[in-house]
Amino acid sequence: MSDLTEELSRLQARFDRAVEEAGDEAALENVRVAYLGRNGEVTKVRRTIGTLAPQERPGAGKAINDAVAAIEARLEERQSRLQSHAFEEELAASIDVTFPATPSGLGSIHPVRRIVAQSCAYFTRHGFAVVVGPEAEPDYYNFDALNIPSDHPARESFDSFWLTGTMLLRPHTSPMQVRTMQQHAPPIAIVAPGKCYRRDAVDARHLFQFHQVEGLLVAEGIHFGHLKGMLTGLCRELFGSNQSVRFRPSYFPFTEPSAEVDTTCPKCRGTASTCNMCGGSGWIELGGSGMVHPNVLREVGYDPERYSGWAFGFGVERLGLARYEVDDIRRFITSEPDFLRQLS
Amino acid sequence: MLVPISWLREYVALPDETEAIAERLAMLGFPVAAIERRPRISGVLTGRIASVEKHPNADRLLVARVDVARENPLTIATAATNVAAGQTIAVATIGARLPQLTIEARTMRGVASQGMMISAEELALSAEWFEDGIMQLDGTIEPGLDAVELFGLETDVIDVEITANRPDSMSIVGLARELAASYGVALTLPSFANPGSAEEPPGESPVVSIESPDCYRFVAQRFAGIAVKPAPAWMRVRLALAGQRPINNLVDVSNYVMLETGQPLHFYDAAMVAGPRFVVRNAREGEKIVTLDGVERTLGKQALVIADEERALGLAGLMGGASSEVTATTTAIVLEAANFNGTRVRRMSAALGLRSEASSRHEKSLAPALTDIGAARAAQLLCELGATAYRPRTFGGEVVASPAIALRVADVERLLGLPIEARRVAAHLAALGCAVGPEKEGTLAVTPPLWRRDLTIPADLIEEVARVEGYERIPAVVPSVPPHEISSAAFELENSIAQTLAALGYREIVTHSLRADDEGDAVEVRNPLSEEHRFLRSSLAPGTIEYLAGIATPARVFEIGQVFRRDGEQIDERTAVAFGFSAGRGDEPPWRDSNFLRLKGDCEALLRAVTGREADILPGTHAALHPGKTGIVRIDEIELGAVGCVDPRLSKAFELPGNAYLCLLNANAIPAYRTPHYRAPSRFPSTYRDLALVVATTVAAREVEHAVSEVLGALCTGVAVFDEYRGPQVERERKSLAVRITLQRFDATITDEEADAAIERVLDAMRERFGATIRA
Repeated sequence: MSDLTEELSRLQARFDRAVEEAGDEAALENVRVAYLGRNGEVTKVRRTIGTLAPQERPGAGKAINDAVAAIEARLEERQSRLQSHAFEEELAASIDVTFPATPSGLGSIHPVRRIVAQSCAYFTRHGFAVVVGPEAEPDYYNFDALNIPSDHPARESFDSFWLTGTMLLRPHTSPMQVRTMQQHAPPIAIVAPGKCYRRDAVDARHLFQFHQVEGLLVAEGIHFGHLKGMLTGLCRELFGSNQSVRFRPSYFPFTEPSAEVDTTCPKCRGTASTCNMCGGSGWIELGGSGMVHPNVLREVGYDPERYSGWAFGFGVERLGLARYEVDDIRRFITSEPDFLRQLS
Repeated sequence: MLVPISWLREYVALPDETEAIAERLAMLGFPVAAIERRPRISGVLTGRIASVEKHPNADRLLVARVDVARENPLTIATAATNVAAGQTIAVATIGARLPQLTIEARTMRGVASQGMMISAEELALSAEWFEDGIMQLDGTIEPGLDAVELFGLETDVIDVEITANRPDSMSIVGLARELAASYGVALTLPSFANPGSAEEPPGESPVVSIESPDCYRFVAQRFAGIAVKPAPAWMRVRLALAGQRPINNLVDVSNYVMLETGQPLHFYDAAMVAGPRFVVRNAREGEKIVTLDGVERTLGKQALVIADEERALGLAGLMGGASSEVTATTTAIVLEAANFNGTRVRRMSAALGLRSEASSRHEKSLAPALTDIGAARAAQLLCELGATAYRPRTFGGEVVASPAIALRVADVERLLGLPIEARRVAAHLAALGCAVGPEKEGTLAVTPPLWRRDLTIPADLIEEVARVEGYERIPAVVPSVPPHEISSAAFELENSIAQTLAALGYREIVTHSLRADDEGDAVEVRNPLSEEHRFLRSSLAPGTIEYLAGIATPARVFEIGQVFRRDGEQIDERTAVAFGFSAGRGDEPPWRDSNFLRLKGDCEALLRAVTGREADILPGTHAALHPGKTGIVRIDEIELGAVGCVDPRLSKAFELPGNAYLCLLNANAIPAYRTPHYRAPSRFPSTYRDLALVVATTVAAREVEHAVSEVLGALCTGVAVFDEYRGPQVERERKSLAVRITLQRFDATITDEEADAAIERVLDAMRERFGATIRA
């Protein structure tokens, strides 16, 4: 029995040294296995109990269990010290967070699509659908069905690219009004974004290929006030909640009454007489709008006595000029990498 | 149109300053493009020259004594040469402020000069439009009047834009009427009664024979006792302010009346017209005329001319001819105030490449009623200048009022969303010149004024009500949109493609749809702006390659846009998607191209995201792509497009420094998203085996994968070729493929024995089908 006690105290002394020497958790685990493992030193001592006299065995058992408990406590304590030491080391690390990031590799959508998507999202939130259609269209959809007969002077204001005697590249997105109304009975609530073409000389404010967003709402009881409400909301969506919108009388063959739509110049907000965005007027022109002409409704078989509606068409690049304060509209089609990166 | 505010104020008491008037016009539908501020001028009086003497000390100076209705005439030394006793002129007195200088008392070579006689230029009028030297005023003008006030010199001039439907407002009277209605103030117009009542001497009564339906009405009126000379100063100044160059009293009267009433006029020298018989007829093919601008023009049948019995005298509504032009010797004239078909005038103007103030009005289709108004006003002015007016003779159609329009008052609110009383509706319309009957059962009978041919339906009248009321008074309301069945699917697909490609690292570009190159079946534009843009693109490939070639650094880009092809008489148009990247020339062996695999991976990822299905990519060819590096993309047997390396010959043509890889898809063929169904994985562990199979180089990786799946059936939960080797360790024309096969059972853990047996079956099949050998 005293041999065993001695043996245990020598074992514990060796163990204490081994624990002190274990510099990390892996070394400590090796110590644990060496003492408490299947072939560990404590296990070996326990196996000697069978050689003791029966009356000594309980005392020996207790002594071994006490030793095991002490070893386990010591292991646990050492482990938690090693762990906190490891955390301290890890937490001592410090980097320069201002060092340039690794590029993400994310691409981008073109600013035109961004404006189109945002405008369409506004309208879809209010229950409109978004429709798209062809760019090569017969004159019927571009003109005749829109109350612009063949000898009408307004045809010349849509200076168009002709493909055949009757087909042309659409100079506006309004053909989608006619196409949609011919396919569906009222009510109609659509926006129609898309590319348009006009034979305009290209300069800082003009492109011969540009985008429009068209809108059309036809139902019973639709009036001009609804047009003002929706377009005011659109401008606030695109330019911010302080945006004012102005409707000026104008002339388009397919609407009556007709209106030009202006919004507060987002660059100078009407404060700079030399502003190069609005020319000092404080307003930028967004496009045309108005109540759908009764002749257009009749052409698609709608009863203008019962149904009324409004339509509008805005130039997307024009919106883009104002929104992003772009100096030259041609940048939207040259798509230079730096332009796309800045506006992504 | 340049409009001096002082001219407007003559007809309407405008309660606002220029800025506010311009704003008001804009809100009536007449935007003001520019406001020209005239310089402030003061201290300029009218004066009459009492005497002119030589300067005692200077040969080149004169000394005039000028009566300005003060106690003593002013002594003024001048270097001007066009001064003489009795002339009425303008004098800048001591202290006067002119645009360039302030007048001070000064001594000129010993003579104390008490002011300055001034030229048009010193009043900020275009010098080249007036006489050289001192500006001559009319003898009827009293001395001592404030010249600035007398001639309305202190006015702003606004440049007003007028829409095509409102030729009636291409006039001072028209705009004054609009402003009067909007401000709710009275409109005071000159009388439009024609003072001409005398019968012409026998044989001198003008006769017009109208042989073309494109002339609706022709008022001809003879005037005699004419002396051609400069027009009165007030008229010259006013025309100059309105941007019209003064010529002589007759031409100035015709221009003045056109600006004032909107009706273009033409004056013929009566002595130069045979008859005087006028014929309005189509020009004869090849007929020649020298127009007022001195240009000889050869006409076609589409031209409409005013002729006498011998020759064409002028182009209808466009420009007069030189042969009957008013000259210094003219003593009698015939006035023409005619109405023509606007389309005819517009086409003639376009065909001849000639525009005039007259044609810009006629081409918008003027109201026939204006002919009488224009003739009457001209007659008044000519009589004031001392001419004798004979009776106006009218030819062609009578002036007929438009039929009354029945306007339901409730429709005004229905269309505008603005509650408004019948009385107010009627007042607004009346202010614009409509005759409005009393309200009956909620309806007003509205007869538009003779000069408003654009008002034909109730909606036209509702716009008039809204304009006078002010669009800004209509309350903005967000509508509640009724439910409908219209689909947004095509737009959503396009957007989802764009969003996915952006997430995959591609930047969207927009390039020109119109290009210089024709790939054989390209659609041609009949009237291109330039050769650069003659054809519609039939593929997005050239634009994308050109873009990649045009930027210095490698880039990943995409475009979504329409492409067009001729298909017989039809135009086949579809929505195309292109995405890809430029890359340097790598050092890979000819049988391997990791860039291709990267692009293919993006193509599969894109199609999985937008369709919920797996794409199949098999060898094929495409015009723009490398014949050995092209995959045809299909989903469920539907061909969607191609993916591959750009044909190096094409890259070279576009001066691309390295390679480019492009995926070209037809968006219209991409099937709708199909919701995938979830299959729970096996609860039992899987195992895998890697094989190295040596096969002929013609055996495609995909064939091997298919064969493995087929042999193993449900036991195989994954098969993928993950490496390829060609080189000294395998024979020529052969390659080694590394394949990982994953094996798993759904009902139990697969044993090693089962797995080994399965792999044996695979190997047998590989030997049999592909002549494969197994590489250690």
